[in-house]
Amino acid sequence: MSISSAHERKKGAAKASVDHAATTPITLSERSMTGLALIRIFVGYLWFQQLFWKMPPDFAGLYPYIIRESQRTIIPGYGFILQHTFLAGCANLHTASGCTLFVPLAAGVWTAELIVSLSLMFGLFTRFGAILGSVLALQLYVGLAYTEWLWTYGMLVLLCLALTAIPAGRRLGVDQWLAPRLQAVASHNRFARFVSWFA
Amino acid sequence: MTSIRRGLLAGLLAGLFLATLNFVTDGTPGRTLPDALHWFGIALADPTTSRFAGFFLIIVLGGVFGLIFGAFQRERIITISRALLSGLVLGLAWWFIFSLVLTNIMNHASSPFSLQFGRFLSTFPIDVLFGLVLGALYFQFQEKPTAAAL
Repeated sequence: MSISSAHERKKGAAKASVDHAATTPITLSERSMTGLALIRIFVGYLWFQQLFWKMPPDFAGLYPYIIRESQRTIIPGYGFILQHTFLAGCANLHTASGCTLFVPLAAGVWTAELIVSLSLMFGLFTRFGAILGSVLALQLYVGLAYTEWLWTYGMLVLLCLALTAIPAGRRLGVDQWLAPRLQAVASHNRFARFVSWFA
Repeated sequence: MTSIRRGLLAGLLAGLFLATLNFVTDGTPGRTLPDALHWFGIALADPTTSRFAGFFLIIVLGGVFGLIFGAFQRERIITISRALLSGLVLGLAWWFIFSLVLTNIMNHASSPFSLQFGRFLSTFPIDVLFGLVLGALYFQFQEKPTAAAL
Protein backbone atom coordinates (compact mmCIF):
# COMPACT_ATOMS: atom_id res chain seq x y z
CA MET A 1 0.00 0.00 0.00
CA SER A 2 2.72 2.40 0.99
CA ILE A 3 4.74 1.40 -2.08
CA SER A 4 1.70 2.03 -4.26
CA SER A 5 1.18 5.46 -2.63
CA ALA A 6 4.79 6.43 -3.23
CA HIS A 7 4.45 5.31 -6.83
CA GLU A 8 1.27 7.36 -7.22
CA ARG A 9 2.98 10.36 -5.68
CA LYS A 10 5.92 9.97 -8.09
CA LYS A 11 3.54 9.68 -11.04
CA GLY A 12 1.68 12.77 -9.87
CA ALA A 13 4.91 14.73 -9.47
CA ALA A 14 6.09 13.64 -12.93
CA LYS A 15 2.73 14.68 -14.45
CA ALA A 16 2.90 18.06 -12.67
CA SER A 17 6.42 18.50 -14.00
CA VAL A 18 5.28 17.72 -17.55
CA ASP A 19 2.31 20.11 -17.15
CA HIS A 20 4.68 22.76 -15.93
CA ALA A 21 7.02 22.14 -18.87
CA ALA A 22 4.11 22.39 -21.29
CA THR A 23 3.31 25.92 -20.13
CA THR A 24 6.88 27.21 -20.08
CA PRO A 25 6.98 30.40 -22.14
CA ILE A 26 8.94 30.22 -25.38
CA THR A 27 11.67 32.79 -25.81
CA LEU A 28 13.10 33.35 -29.25
CA SER A 29 16.84 33.93 -29.47
CA GLU A 30 18.29 37.09 -31.04
CA ARG A 31 19.34 35.07 -34.10
CA SER A 32 15.84 33.65 -34.56
CA MET A 33 14.30 37.12 -34.24
CA THR A 34 16.78 38.57 -36.73
CA GLY A 35 16.02 35.72 -39.13
CA LEU A 36 12.28 36.38 -38.80
CA ALA A 37 12.91 40.09 -39.34
CA LEU A 38 14.73 39.29 -42.61
CA ILE A 39 11.81 37.09 -43.71
CA ARG A 40 9.44 39.97 -42.85
CA ILE A 41 11.46 42.40 -45.00
CA PHE A 42 11.50 40.04 -47.98
CA VAL A 43 7.74 39.44 -47.72
CA GLY A 44 7.30 43.24 -47.66
CA TYR A 45 9.57 43.48 -50.71
CA LEU A 46 7.39 40.89 -52.46
CA TRP A 47 4.38 43.20 -52.01
CA PHE A 48 6.49 46.23 -52.94
CA GLN A 49 7.57 44.81 -56.31
CA GLN A 50 3.95 44.13 -57.28
CA LEU A 51 3.16 47.87 -57.18
CA PHE A 52 5.07 48.53 -60.39
CA TRP A 53 2.94 46.65 -62.90
CA LYS A 54 -0.22 48.51 -61.86
CA MET A 55 1.04 52.03 -61.39
CA PRO A 56 -1.15 55.15 -61.13
CA PRO A 57 -2.82 57.08 -62.64
CA ASP A 58 -4.74 54.42 -64.64
CA PHE A 59 -3.75 51.20 -62.75
CA ALA A 60 -4.16 49.47 -66.13
CA GLY A 61 -2.15 46.38 -65.10
CA LEU A 62 -4.76 45.47 -62.51
CA TYR A 63 -7.65 45.39 -64.96
CA PRO A 64 -7.08 41.95 -66.60
CA TYR A 65 -6.70 40.40 -63.13
CA ILE A 66 -10.03 41.84 -61.95
CA ILE A 67 -11.66 40.45 -65.12
CA ARG A 68 -10.08 37.04 -64.44
CA GLU A 69 -11.18 37.12 -60.78
CA SER A 70 -14.76 37.91 -61.79
CA GLN A 71 -14.78 34.88 -64.12
CA ARG A 72 -12.81 32.29 -62.10
CA THR A 73 -13.59 33.00 -58.44
CA ILE A 74 -14.05 30.04 -56.07
CA ILE A 75 -16.85 31.73 -54.11
CA PRO A 76 -20.30 32.03 -55.76
CA GLY A 77 -21.48 35.62 -55.86
CA TYR A 78 -18.00 37.16 -55.64
CA GLY A 79 -17.91 37.67 -59.41
CA PHE A 80 -21.26 39.49 -59.18
CA ILE A 81 -19.80 41.86 -56.53
CA LEU A 82 -16.77 42.60 -58.74
CA GLN A 83 -18.95 43.21 -61.79
CA HIS A 84 -21.02 45.77 -59.86
CA THR A 85 -18.08 47.55 -58.21
CA PHE A 86 -14.70 47.44 -59.98
CA LEU A 87 -16.23 46.59 -63.35
CA ALA A 88 -19.36 48.78 -63.18
CA GLY A 89 -19.94 50.49 -66.52
CA CYS A 90 -17.06 48.67 -68.26
CA ALA A 91 -17.72 48.06 -71.93
CA ASN A 92 -14.49 46.35 -72.94
CA LEU A 93 -12.69 43.27 -71.62
CA HIS A 94 -9.29 44.67 -72.63
CA THR A 95 -9.28 48.28 -71.41
CA ALA A 96 -10.79 50.01 -68.39
CA SER A 97 -12.20 52.87 -70.44
CA GLY A 98 -15.82 53.54 -69.49
CA CYS A 99 -15.51 51.89 -66.07
CA THR A 100 -16.94 54.32 -63.56
CA LEU A 101 -15.48 52.94 -60.33
CA PHE A 102 -12.37 51.11 -61.49
CA VAL A 103 -9.79 53.87 -60.94
CA PRO A 104 -10.87 54.92 -57.39
CA LEU A 105 -11.18 51.30 -56.24
CA ALA A 106 -7.89 50.28 -57.88
CA ALA A 107 -6.27 53.28 -56.15
CA GLY A 108 -7.54 51.84 -52.86
CA VAL A 109 -6.01 48.43 -53.64
CA TRP A 110 -2.70 50.02 -54.72
CA THR A 111 -2.54 52.18 -51.58
CA ALA A 112 -3.33 49.19 -49.35
CA GLU A 113 -0.51 47.20 -50.99
CA LEU A 114 1.85 50.17 -50.55
CA ILE A 115 0.95 50.34 -46.84
CA VAL A 116 1.53 46.58 -46.44
CA SER A 117 4.91 46.75 -48.18
CA LEU A 118 6.17 49.79 -46.24
CA SER A 119 4.89 48.41 -42.94
CA LEU A 120 6.61 45.05 -43.44
CA MET A 121 9.84 46.36 -44.95
CA PHE A 122 10.37 49.06 -42.33
CA GLY A 123 8.91 47.07 -39.43
CA LEU A 124 6.47 49.89 -38.69
CA PHE A 125 3.30 48.63 -36.98
CA THR A 126 4.25 45.31 -38.51
CA ARG A 127 1.28 43.33 -37.26
CA PHE A 128 -1.12 45.83 -38.77
CA GLY A 129 0.68 45.48 -42.11
CA ALA A 130 0.61 41.68 -41.78
CA ILE A 131 -3.16 41.65 -41.03
CA LEU A 132 -3.86 43.91 -44.00
CA GLY A 133 -1.58 41.71 -46.13
CA SER A 134 -3.50 38.60 -45.00
CA VAL A 135 -6.79 40.19 -46.07
CA LEU A 136 -5.40 41.21 -49.47
CA ALA A 137 -3.81 37.80 -50.01
CA LEU A 138 -7.05 36.05 -49.01
CA GLN A 139 -8.89 38.13 -51.58
CA LEU A 140 -6.33 37.07 -54.21
CA TYR A 141 -6.79 33.43 -53.15
CA VAL A 142 -10.58 33.70 -53.50
CA GLY A 143 -10.30 35.27 -56.93
CA LEU A 144 -7.28 33.62 -58.50
CA ALA A 145 -6.61 30.32 -56.70
CA TYR A 146 -7.68 28.16 -59.65
CA THR A 147 -5.98 30.28 -62.30
CA GLU A 148 -2.48 29.41 -61.05
CA TRP A 149 -0.92 26.79 -58.77
CA LEU A 150 -3.52 26.38 -56.03
CA TRP A 151 -1.07 27.14 -53.20
CA THR A 152 0.48 30.30 -54.72
CA TYR A 153 -1.84 32.72 -52.93
CA GLY A 154 -2.49 30.28 -50.10
CA MET A 155 1.18 30.49 -49.16
CA LEU A 156 1.00 34.28 -49.21
CA VAL A 157 -1.96 34.15 -46.80
CA LEU A 158 -0.03 31.81 -44.48
CA LEU A 159 3.14 33.95 -44.61
CA CYS A 160 1.18 37.07 -43.64
CA LEU A 161 -0.66 35.19 -40.89
CA ALA A 162 2.70 33.98 -39.48
CA LEU A 163 3.93 37.60 -39.42
CA THR A 164 0.72 38.60 -37.63
CA ALA A 165 1.45 36.09 -34.86
CA ILE A 166 5.04 37.19 -34.21
CA PRO A 167 6.16 40.79 -33.53
CA ALA A 168 8.83 40.53 -36.24
CA GLY A 169 9.25 44.31 -36.52
CA ARG A 170 11.02 44.47 -33.15
CA ARG A 171 14.31 43.59 -34.81
CA LEU A 172 15.67 45.42 -37.88
CA GLY A 173 12.59 47.62 -37.78
CA VAL A 174 11.09 50.82 -36.39
CA ASP A 175 8.97 48.76 -33.97
CA GLN A 176 12.18 48.04 -32.03
CA TRP A 177 12.11 51.72 -31.07
CA LEU A 178 8.34 52.12 -31.01
CA ALA A 179 7.14 49.07 -29.04
CA PRO A 180 8.85 49.79 -25.67
CA ARG A 181 7.61 53.39 -25.79
CA LEU A 182 4.03 52.38 -26.49
CA GLN A 183 4.18 49.69 -23.78
CA ALA A 184 5.49 52.25 -21.29
CA VAL A 185 2.37 54.40 -21.68
CA ALA A 186 -0.02 51.47 -22.20
CA SER A 187 -0.78 51.11 -18.47
CA HIS A 188 -2.55 54.49 -18.30
CA ASN A 189 -3.64 54.95 -21.90
CA ARG A 190 -6.16 52.59 -23.48
CA PHE A 191 -5.37 53.70 -27.04
CA ALA A 192 -1.64 53.14 -26.55
CA ARG A 193 -2.42 49.66 -25.13
CA PHE A 194 -4.46 48.84 -28.25
CA VAL A 195 -1.93 50.27 -30.69
CA SER A 196 1.04 48.66 -28.91
CA TRP A 197 -0.17 45.21 -30.00
CA PHE A 198 0.38 46.16 -33.64
CA ALA A 199 4.02 47.21 -33.07
CA MET B 1 34.96 45.85 -30.97
CA THR B 2 35.63 49.46 -31.91
CA SER B 3 32.82 51.53 -33.38
CA ILE B 4 34.57 51.74 -36.76
CA ARG B 5 35.00 47.96 -37.01
CA ARG B 6 31.41 47.46 -35.83
CA GLY B 7 30.24 49.98 -38.43
CA LEU B 8 32.23 48.21 -41.17
CA LEU B 9 30.69 44.84 -40.31
CA ALA B 10 27.15 46.32 -40.13
CA GLY B 11 27.75 48.16 -43.42
CA LEU B 12 29.02 45.07 -45.25
CA LEU B 13 26.01 43.04 -44.05
CA ALA B 14 23.58 45.85 -44.94
CA GLY B 15 25.30 46.07 -48.36
CA LEU B 16 24.85 42.32 -48.82
CA PHE B 17 21.20 42.75 -47.87
CA LEU B 18 20.75 45.58 -50.42
CA ALA B 19 22.54 43.60 -53.14
CA THR B 20 20.26 40.62 -52.42
CA LEU B 21 17.17 42.86 -52.74
CA ASN B 22 18.55 43.99 -56.10
CA PHE B 23 19.05 40.35 -57.10
CA VAL B 24 15.47 39.20 -56.46
CA THR B 25 13.95 41.53 -59.03
CA ASP B 26 10.90 40.83 -61.17
CA GLY B 27 11.83 39.55 -64.61
CA THR B 28 15.51 38.63 -64.96
CA PRO B 29 17.22 38.12 -61.59
CA GLY B 30 19.68 40.90 -60.79
CA ARG B 31 18.78 43.06 -63.77
CA THR B 32 19.27 46.26 -61.71
CA LEU B 33 22.70 45.26 -60.31
CA PRO B 34 24.72 46.78 -63.22
CA ASP B 35 23.25 50.19 -62.24
CA ALA B 36 25.85 50.30 -59.45
CA LEU B 37 28.66 50.09 -62.04
CA HIS B 38 26.91 52.71 -64.14
CA TRP B 39 27.12 55.23 -61.24
CA PHE B 40 30.92 55.22 -61.74
CA GLY B 41 30.82 55.10 -65.51
CA ILE B 42 31.85 51.42 -65.68
CA ALA B 43 30.28 49.29 -68.40
CA LEU B 44 31.01 45.58 -68.85
CA ALA B 45 29.99 43.81 -72.03
CA ASP B 46 29.11 40.46 -70.45
CA PRO B 47 25.77 40.78 -68.58
CA THR B 48 26.54 38.00 -66.07
CA THR B 49 29.92 39.50 -65.13
CA SER B 50 28.28 42.91 -64.96
CA ARG B 51 25.69 41.63 -62.47
CA PHE B 52 28.30 39.92 -60.30
CA ALA B 53 30.49 43.05 -60.33
CA GLY B 54 27.46 45.20 -59.40
CA PHE B 55 26.58 42.81 -56.57
CA PHE B 56 30.07 43.06 -55.04
CA LEU B 57 30.33 46.81 -55.63
CA ILE B 58 27.13 47.37 -53.61
CA ILE B 59 28.60 45.31 -50.75
CA VAL B 60 31.84 47.36 -50.85
CA LEU B 61 29.87 50.64 -50.91
CA GLY B 62 27.82 49.32 -47.98
CA GLY B 63 31.09 48.75 -46.11
CA VAL B 64 32.19 52.34 -46.85
CA PHE B 65 28.88 53.70 -45.54
CA GLY B 66 29.28 51.46 -42.48
CA LEU B 67 32.72 52.94 -41.83
CA ILE B 68 31.22 56.43 -42.00
CA PHE B 69 28.43 55.35 -39.63
CA GLY B 70 30.95 53.91 -37.16
CA ALA B 71 33.21 56.97 -37.34
CA PHE B 72 30.31 59.26 -36.42
CA GLN B 73 29.54 57.29 -33.25
CA ARG B 74 32.98 58.00 -31.69
CA GLU B 75 33.23 54.91 -29.45
CA ARG B 76 30.00 55.73 -27.62
CA ILE B 77 27.33 53.19 -26.71
CA ILE B 78 24.38 54.50 -28.71
CA THR B 79 20.64 54.13 -28.13
CA ILE B 80 18.25 52.52 -30.62
CA SER B 81 16.81 55.98 -31.40
CA ARG B 82 20.23 57.28 -32.42
CA ALA B 83 21.13 54.09 -34.32
CA LEU B 84 17.95 54.09 -36.41
CA LEU B 85 17.98 57.85 -37.01
CA SER B 86 21.65 57.87 -38.08
CA GLY B 87 20.94 54.87 -40.31
CA LEU B 88 17.96 56.58 -41.94
CA VAL B 89 20.07 59.70 -42.60
CA LEU B 90 22.79 57.56 -44.24
CA GLY B 91 20.14 55.75 -46.31
CA LEU B 92 18.85 59.13 -47.45
CA ALA B 93 22.42 60.14 -48.36
CA TRP B 94 22.84 56.89 -50.35
CA TRP B 95 19.65 57.62 -52.29
CA PHE B 96 20.64 61.24 -52.93
CA ILE B 97 24.20 60.48 -54.07
CA PHE B 98 23.73 57.29 -56.07
CA SER B 99 20.08 56.91 -57.10
CA LEU B 100 19.47 60.60 -57.77
CA VAL B 101 22.57 62.66 -58.60
CA LEU B 102 24.99 60.09 -60.07
CA THR B 103 22.23 58.29 -62.01
CA ASN B 104 21.08 61.58 -63.55
CA ILE B 105 24.62 62.69 -64.37
CA MET B 106 25.48 59.36 -66.00
CA ASN B 107 22.19 59.33 -67.96
CA HIS B 108 22.89 62.91 -69.17
CA ALA B 109 19.58 64.08 -67.69
CA SER B 110 18.56 67.73 -67.97
CA SER B 111 19.23 68.25 -64.26
CA PRO B 112 21.09 66.16 -61.64
CA PHE B 113 17.95 66.38 -59.51
CA SER B 114 15.34 65.40 -62.10
CA LEU B 115 13.03 62.70 -60.81
CA GLN B 116 10.00 60.73 -61.97
CA PHE B 117 7.48 59.23 -59.56
CA GLY B 118 8.15 55.65 -60.71
CA ARG B 119 11.90 55.94 -60.26
CA PHE B 120 11.48 57.67 -56.90
CA LEU B 121 9.20 54.87 -55.70
CA SER B 122 11.51 52.12 -56.90
CA THR B 123 14.67 53.55 -55.30
CA PHE B 124 13.85 55.74 -52.29
CA PRO B 125 12.22 53.20 -49.93
CA ILE B 126 14.87 50.55 -50.68
CA ASP B 127 17.82 52.90 -50.12
CA VAL B 128 16.36 54.26 -46.89
CA LEU B 129 15.69 50.67 -45.79
CA PHE B 130 19.39 49.92 -46.34
CA GLY B 131 20.21 52.71 -43.87
CA LEU B 132 17.67 51.46 -41.34
CA VAL B 133 19.12 47.93 -41.49
CA LEU B 134 22.65 49.32 -41.14
CA GLY B 135 21.68 51.25 -38.00
CA ALA B 136 19.74 48.33 -36.52
CA LEU B 137 22.63 45.89 -37.14
CA TYR B 138 25.14 48.31 -35.60
CA PHE B 139 22.92 48.55 -32.52
CA GLN B 140 22.75 44.75 -32.28
CA PHE B 141 26.54 44.41 -32.47
CA GLN B 142 27.04 46.67 -29.46
CA GLU B 143 27.98 45.02 -26.21
CA LYS B 144 25.50 47.19 -24.41
CA PRO B 145 24.35 47.50 -20.81
CA THR B 146 20.68 46.48 -20.29
CA ALA B 147 19.60 50.08 -19.78
CA ALA B 148 20.68 50.96 -23.30
CA ALA B 149 18.25 48.44 -24.78
CA LEU B 150 15.49 51.04 -24.97
